Amino acid sequence: MRLRTLLRHTRIRAVTVEPPGPGAPAVEESAGRNRGSLQLRHVDAGSCNGCEMEITSAFSPVYDAERFGIRLEASPRHCDGLLVTGPVTRNMADPLRKTHAAVPEPAVVVALGDCARDCGVFRGAYGVEGAVGDVLPVDLEIPGCPPHPAAIVRALRGLAGT
Amino acid sequence: MAALLVATAVVGLAAAVAGAAAGPRLRTPLTVGLTVAACATGFAVAARVLATGGVVRFHTDHLLPLAGLTLRLDRFGALFVAVSAVVGVCALVFRLGYDGHGLSSRTASAVLPLFVTTLLLVPAAADVTTFLFLWESMAVTSLLLVLADHRRRAEVQSAGQWYAVMTQAGAAAILVGLVLLATRSGGQSFTVIAAAAPHLAPWIRSAAFLLVVAGFASKAGAVPLHVWLPRAHAEASGPVSALMSAAMVNLGIYGILRVGFGMLRGGPAWWWLVVMAVGALSALFGALHSATASDLKRLLAHSTTDNVGLVLLGVGASGLFASTGHPSLALLALVAALLHVAFHAVFKGCLFLAAGSIQQATGTRDLDALGGLLHRMPVTGTIFLIGGAGMAALPVFCGFVSEWLLLQSMLHGLPAADPAVAVAMPVGVGVLALTGGLAAFTFVKAAGIGLLGLPRTEAAAQAREVRASMSVGAGALAMLCVLLGVAPFTVIPAVAGAARTVSGIRAPAPLSRGWQLDLPGVHSVLAPGLLAAALALTVGAVALVRRRLEPGPVRVVEAWGCGRELQTANMEYTATSFGEPLTRVFDDVLQPSHDVDVNHVAESRYYVEAATVHLSLDDAFERRLYDPANRSLRRWGAAARTVPNGSIHRYLAFGMVALVLVLVVVA
Repeated sequence: MRLRTLLRHTRIRAVTVEPPGPGAPAVEESAGRNRGSLQLRHVDAGSCNGCEMEITSAFSPVYDAERFGIRLEASPRHCDGLLVTGPVTRNMADPLRKTHAAVPEPAVVVALGDCARDCGVFRGAYGVEGAVGDVLPVDLEIPGCPPHPAAIVRALRGLAGT
Repeated sequence: MAALLVATAVVGLAAAVAGAAAGPRLRTPLTVGLTVAACATGFAVAARVLATGGVVRFHTDHLLPLAGLTLRLDRFGALFVAVSAVVGVCALVFRLGYDGHGLSSRTASAVLPLFVTTLLLVPAAADVTTFLFLWESMAVTSLLLVLADHRRRAEVQSAGQWYAVMTQAGAAAILVGLVLLATRSGGQSFTVIAAAAPHLAPWIRSAAFLLVVAGFASKAGAVPLHVWLPRAHAEASGPVSALMSAAMVNLGIYGILRVGFGMLRGGPAWWWLVVMAVGALSALFGALHSATASDLKRLLAHSTTDNVGLVLLGVGASGLFASTGHPSLALLALVAALLHVAFHAVFKGCLFLAAGSIQQATGTRDLDALGGLLHRMPVTGTIFLIGGAGMAALPVFCGFVSEWLLLQSMLHGLPAADPAVAVAMPVGVGVLALTGGLAAFTFVKAAGIGLLGLPRTEAAAQAREVRASMSVGAGALAMLCVLLGVAPFTVIPAVAGAARTVSGIRAPAPLSRGWQLDLPGVHSVLAPGLLAAALALTVGAVALVRRRLEPGPVRVVEAWGCGRELQTANMEYTATSFGEPLTRVFDDVLQPSHDVDVNHVAESRYYVEAATVHLSLDDAFERRLYDPANRSLRRWGAAARTVPNGSIHRYLAFGMVALVLVLVVVA
């Protein structure tokens, strides 16, 4: 009896928060794979740092994305994917590819913010190589300039399946 | 058998003559061949003595004036002869391919066989004169070999001076101690001294013991008499430093045991507490310095001090157990100590030879200038890894067995009624544990920095595998390191016989039954063979499971370097930076000094042209003990120079005063 309870608790998670809500984009296959844990390496490919402020906020005690099993990691070797902000500048294109290569497959790529999606106001600038989608295959886009922390958390929850 | 012992000496001398007489092309193969033959005959005698338990005697009145030359090889001496012979053969085979360091000169070719021969004969000396003659020959020949390269490098000269002074001071202490014993016992033969020693006055016994221990400890490189060792062992050429570290250092231990146990038959507990204290200090100090050293050979030399300390810890524990009435533990500790002498010789010989290969291939022994050698020198790299695993006392390698035995003997001395034992043993166990950890750290540093990663200099990038004979010499010791670690029971009966012979303890010795090692009296067993089998099975099973679980191709990507475009060796850890946290923790002992020079560009102080960092670690004993002693000696020397001022009148007055004094004393 006790063993069965113990085993049951290894499977179920006590989630004491609201469900992600209707706005969360569901990425079914990756959500099934990640199963409640999502480790991301953040790459600033040329952002104005507005998105970084919101990411910081999303992982701050107020929005606390970590309670959903989402973490920002230092090494891509420990990660499930990349969280990329900003348009991809020429100097950051190769490092971005190298970081992507360093993530174990299948690596999820999240393009965060309008610049990452389509270069935003920097489109056509001489130092910009393109949007994240021009360099890497993107799995999830989070729109906004910058996106609200709640939107970031909601989107990443969809990816983490929590 | 005596004929074989004489043959060892004769063949060794013949090798020396061949080295002196032969032309430059024949010199090396001839001396190496003859010296290997001398080692082989020495090993044959030693193995026979160890197997049968007999004694080989030889005496001639002619070779040394007044006393003659007396040799007597018992099982205890035979153990050391066997170890020296094995190391000697491997070092000489290695020497065939090794060049440079002035080893091919006529002098060095003649002296190297002499050195090896004295290493083989010192444990067979049976009286004070023969012993001191051979001991001094060994010291002088090894000094000449250290100095072989003195013309090209100033450090060699300094190392030679330190070594000469320390070894002569040690020999003087041994001389006084042994002569004290010989005059009071009415004979200079070791057996006569042994028979008379129990009846000598306690102060004579103690004085002789302390003098002899000081002398032999300086040869063994124990703290605080170790200062010459990292210098001489590092500056000597590869085969010579292997011989010094793996064979010559052992003879210091031999001397302490021969006099302390063999002649004086043990003594009061405080003698052995002194030995244990010296051992503990050496072990900690050596381990700490080898963990923070960045010169490969200095690192190994400091590790020799560490291992000699562990042996002395075992010797001291054995004496303490014997003097407090625990014969079976005393024998166990002595067997552990002797086993560690033999196993240390194997892995340290292997490491010094591999370090010689690395130095020959890259031209440097600075770890911070090496890197990535395992890919360029796979054989030497593997040999170094095996030797290093032995040094770190990892299971399945030989260092593990002896350190485990040492730990067992000290652990089981814990429930002792005697307060000295009850205090000394936990301290000993703690020292053993700490040095074990530091040795593992040292191994990770030496192997990780030197063998793995990117090459840090062009020389390391261009390194090529060394000649086959060098790999064979070092590889034989590496193989022994594994074989003895898996099957230590092949040599334990011989070592136990040697320990019984010197200590006279009749307790049951550690037994080997099949694949397992039984320790009598302490209810403990070790089965290194099973351990190895279990390890191999586990590794195999894990490999199999991994292959099953991970189908599909493996993606090879470059090492993660934060996505930077250019990865250079400058971004790697260095030996210095790896050891830096340890340096910081132990800064009271290591006294690191730190000096940064920044050169600015002439136009603006905001731009740096070059920055140089000078880091150095001080030897606390050298700074506190030797530097003041050197300074005061220099002062006395300067003061003494004013006495003979060139005036003939003053000299006549000195003569007059001396004559009067002599007359007064005689009258």
